[in-house]
Amino acid sequence: MVRLKARCVRTNKLFFPCFVSFLDGCGACVYVCRYLLCEVCVSQRSKLQLLEEKAIFQAVKSAVAKAHGEYGAALFSIGSKVTYLNAYTGVVMLRFRKAFYQLLWSALPFINSIGPQGRKVPCFFNCIYVGGTIKTCQKFLVRYDRQQLYRMLPHCKTGAEKQEVRRAVQTCSHSFYKATQQEDDDDDDDDGGEEGEEEETIVL
Amino acid sequence: MEEKSASYERVVYKNPSEYHYMKIHLVLENADTSISAEEFKYLIISGLKDLYGEVGAAIPFDVLTFDQTALSAILRVFNSGLVKLWSALTLTGSYANKPCAFRVTQVSPFLLALSGNSREMEV
Repeated sequence: MVRLKARCVRTNKLFFPCFVSFLDGCGACVYVCRYLLCEVCVSQRSKLQLLEEKAIFQAVKSAVAKAHGEYGAALFSIGSKVTYLNAYTGVVMLRFRKAFYQLLWSALPFINSIGPQGRKVPCFFNCIYVGGTIKTCQKFLVRYDRQQLYRMLPHCKTGAEKQEVRRAVQTCSHSFYKATQQEDDDDDDDDGGEEGEEEETIVL
Repeated sequence: MEEKSASYERVVYKNPSEYHYMKIHLVLENADTSISAEEFKYLIISGLKDLYGEVGAAIPFDVLTFDQTALSAILRVFNSGLVKLWSALTLTGSYANKPCAFRVTQVSPFLLALSGNSREMEV
């Protein structure tokens, strides 16, 4: 085992029921990680549908290898993953090890296209949030997407579009917002005693 | 007249130098190969680029002296880039598709220290 924080054990037990046995058995590696929530900006939004997890992983990998050489590629090869991809909104969540996430993050601005040869989609990465857990990223993303809906409203051309967006805004601001708010409050009560940023670890 | 006792002061010289100096020499398989100073520096930069990418290739360092016959040189590098430069030198393995190696003879924060080498001293 490489590293373990006392306050991480609880999280790990929740996410990895086999965590304890992992520790008892062979020396498993436990890594603290950082999640980068990035927006993939493309000129034509229809091109977003072409995005795949594998293609994004390859694009990030080659950008890291180009900017930081074999050293960077080696750091990237352990513990990095595309955790989440939303092809509709173009939001990607990348997981890096905490010790090296800044180095790997610095390579992201050098990505200018995604996809295999011949079907390249020109784009750039815009990092919108850095979180310690998937949960904090999800909370941020819900808030962010809601803001995006409000921003969408003035750009609607037809009445039907406007109506649709308005309906979406209403649903998320009433039922869903209340539900998440309730959940947030519950969470705050749970970990009220903890200080600092939440972290979760991965077992490799 | 009472003699004033000598007072001693302990002076700790904390390294104020922002540079490190490295004395290195290049070992080529074919000893006849001649290499210019530009090619020598390019070899080091390409070694840095392989290992640390474009960010590594931008690490500032200078070739202060280069001896074309012995293929030895003195490099000056910022302290922050020393480890990267050293590791890139170690992992450089070929020049013009022929095996080669860099031997690091001396490393010091003071250029003067490279003027002599106690290991080669004959007493």
